[in-house]
Amino acid sequence: MREYLLPKEGFRVLFIIGKGGVGKTTTSASIALGLAERGYKTLIVSLDPAHNLGDVLMVKLDDKPKKITENLYASELDMEKLIKAYLKHLEKNLKNMYRYLTVINLEKYFEVLSYSPGIEEYATLEAIRGILAKGDEWDVIVFDTPPTGLTLRVLALPRISLIWADKLIEIRRKILQRRRAIAKIKGEEEYEIEGEKFKLPKEETEDPVMRELLQYREEVEFVEKVVTNGDKTSVIAVMNPEMLPFYETERAYKSLRKFGIPLRLIVLNKVIQLSVDVPELKVKMEAQERVLKEIERAFKGIDVVKLPMFPEEPRGVDWLRKIGGMILGGENP
Amino acid sequence: MQKIKDFLKGFGEAFRHQSTEYIEFELRELENVFALILMGSFIGIPSPPTTLVMRLMPHMVKEIRVMESRAINLDDVFAEVAGMFDID
Repeated sequence: MREYLLPKEGFRVLFIIGKGGVGKTTTSASIALGLAERGYKTLIVSLDPAHNLGDVLMVKLDDKPKKITENLYASELDMEKLIKAYLKHLEKNLKNMYRYLTVINLEKYFEVLSYSPGIEEYATLEAIRGILAKGDEWDVIVFDTPPTGLTLRVLALPRISLIWADKLIEIRRKILQRRRAIAKIKGEEEYEIEGEKFKLPKEETEDPVMRELLQYREEVEFVEKVVTNGDKTSVIAVMNPEMLPFYETERAYKSLRKFGIPLRLIVLNKVIQLSVDVPELKVKMEAQERVLKEIERAFKGIDVVKLPMFPEEPRGVDWLRKIGGMILGGENP
Repeated sequence: MQKIKDFLKGFGEAFRHQSTEYIEFELRELENVFALILMGSFIGIPSPPTTLVMRLMPHMVKEIRVMESRAINLDDVFAEVAGMFDID
């Protein structure tokens, strides 16, 4: 069996990435079913807004894990609902501050907030963090992700957020240091605004901003540590033997490497194998050959599994079991 | 003797005042930068992760009010800077 698909250090996280329509969901479901049948308590989560995990498993899913078979649980995250909830939370926060920040007309800002770039990524990251935080309930968590672009940005977010948090912590620390220094020399300064008297915090432990910053950093660092740990996380790229999916996978591989996230396996789906020569498919077969060669060159050291184009659409438990066995390797239970 | 002591004490206090003057200026600037980064999207500079900003803002209210009152009382920024660096 491919050991990077099995739990090693606590739970195992698998991200299945790839271009739209290459067979991510089928691959995810096959792996999840295969692992569940080998005795690992597995959760499969669909993050893709175009949900079809439920279609593949032939059950209706929602955001609570639902038991499918022994050891296999599945859920579909409703991204729209998540984004709405996330925005509601933001808006409440903003409105609380509104009365203080009367200079800027914030009402107008609320309206455009839901269209602001990046909202979807942040909401997805929050969702992933929530699941990972409770990761010890499972042996394996399989994420069926949205098409490559969004997934890569989401996976890059923890690192970027960490940089921001660190910079802000640095400035905050300087502010607090200076406040302490001034208080030492001149005594503590008291401010009075609209009749209310207060002091500004100067110790790290009493400063709510610093506390929040450190708390946030810890949360993001947790996700970053999980996704960059090769003993915990494996990314599996699914692609078809065509040039465009190949280029996309190659780019994904490069950017994952930049963020230290381990790509371990390439599932080459829908490989055409002909027993007789079909002249109409000659061009297609040649193209496929070329891609197969390119893959060997571009992804040295990365495992590749070839799944043939099946004579019928692989749906239903039997098919998933068969494909799962091919991807996991080793003996079938 | 007492006079010399008083003189030295006054000297020290002047130094102390001058030294905190720099730190205070630096503190104000740092506070401004911090708040500016958090609210960067209002003025068109890239902001930190939205989640982080939203979690920090409620705790920033008092500070922002202090800054607001400073901004109201501030009349000549350049004079302040010039004064600090002994430019007449």
